[in-house]
Amino acid sequence: MSDRRISLDRAGYGLLSRTLAECGREEATGELRVCGRPGGAFHLRGGLVVAVESPGAPGPEALLLRSGRISGEQWDGLLREPGAGRWPEAGLIAHGYAGAAQLRVVRMSALQDAVFAVVVGRVEGVRPLTAPSGAGPLAPVALGESPLRLLQEATRKLTALAALPWPVLPDRERPVPVPGADRDDPRLPPVRRDLLTHADGRRTARDLAFLTGRGVYPVTVEIARMLAEGLLQCADVPPTVLPVPVRVPSAGALLPLRREEPVAGEQQPERAGRPVRREQPVRLGELVRLGEPVPPERIARPDHPVQPDDAPPPPPPDRPPRQLPRRRPGASGITETLAAAHREASWKGFFRLRNRIWTPDSGT
Amino acid sequence: MDHEALAMEMRGLREQVTGVTDTAVAAADGLLIAADTAEDIDPEGLAAIAAAGLGLARRTAEATGRGTLHQTVAQGSHGCAAVYAVGESALMVVLGDEGVDMDRLHEETRPALTRIGSILSAPETVPAVSAVTGAGPEAV
Repeated sequence: MSDRRISLDRAGYGLLSRTLAECGREEATGELRVCGRPGGAFHLRGGLVVAVESPGAPGPEALLLRSGRISGEQWDGLLREPGAGRWPEAGLIAHGYAGAAQLRVVRMSALQDAVFAVVVGRVEGVRPLTAPSGAGPLAPVALGESPLRLLQEATRKLTALAALPWPVLPDRERPVPVPGADRDDPRLPPVRRDLLTHADGRRTARDLAFLTGRGVYPVTVEIARMLAEGLLQCADVPPTVLPVPVRVPSAGALLPLRREEPVAGEQQPERAGRPVRREQPVRLGELVRLGEPVPPERIARPDHPVQPDDAPPPPPPDRPPRQLPRRRPGASGITETLAAAHREASWKGFFRLRNRIWTPDSGT
Repeated sequence: MDHEALAMEMRGLREQVTGVTDTAVAAADGLLIAADTAEDIDPEGLAAIAAAGLGLARRTAEATGRGTLHQTVAQGSHGCAAVYAVGESALMVVLGDEGVDMDRLHEETRPALTRIGSILSAPETVPAVSAVTGAGPEAV
């Protein structure tokens, strides 16, 4: 990319810091929503920040679950315990999944990481402070942090990131390992092996942070270092202007999609009293698979459509009109029982049969 | 159908909404039309599952008097899979991780669904932008 420099969104940062300073002075309690990309929400108590949530940084739950410290099943089990709420801290400690000090660190690092994600992104606006909504933040810290100190810490991180030889933004670069990079090299630290495994040219540093259960700041810094050291590389062209490959599936063109449209003058009453609809085939086109190179002869152009060698199977001539699904005799695979039913002439046989063929969707 | 416009819409959603990881557009019968998915996801299977899930959700909403279905969302511990109807004939499935803001996702997706619907229903006689000599992606 031609301009790799990163800089602070000064107008947005100014707005955010002014609003937070005001909340701090007034010792406000409530939720401050920051609009932008990624944006987020600051939860304040008595002017101090007790939690920050942002789509740009993994929260405490994602840090625990994605890093493998606790499995999804274990987490579900904890949430089912009485009084667990959304953040089952007591259960985590009681079952020995995490220590109290470890959880405090997780909560605080998630908070600081979310502030970094908000500050490094674009702040488009800050909504007025609202009362704490519903259940409140997932995992607030016990003692809040001063909002301005948090902002200073975030800008310090941004400055450190900008000073690296290959600065990276959490939501801009989509790195890919250089050819020949060994993702299983035991000499590499685990974080680098993880990043080499998951970097695929589609994922940003933020995506990789979520995927690996690590903070977005450390992952961004690590990616910047790996880019500088030649372990990762970035495509020079932003992905939005890459040519879009178009692929025709190997089985030939897709079957035409049938759109149901009522046909005037041909309405016939069906059993439910609704008009019968005639289906008109509507060709939607071929498969588009992004990010996958295709041989030029397979590129479909509307003016020169690719003709597959084997003609697509013709659509069925007359599909039944849209209606409730009806069971066909024998569809359930118990035809022999049905056949026996014809020989049963008495009511007793009917009830026996009814009990034998009952299924949850049989409507009885 | 303008493939490039469709691809731009799908990729645009992934880039506009933080946390969206993959998108796919399929016909209502589960046949894949376009996929912007990572290597570890089978787009054909995803399209089939999404169509089945959307059909089931529609019927559920209908049978229980919940009105018109807006979307169906499967929420897991590692993220969500949202399926939106694109008119009567197609659907879009959007995968997101834990960070995705669902309100923002629905808000951004609705206008994209309208645009995708018109791309899909555009007559075939209209040439795609990429097919016109000298035209660039800016005409999307």
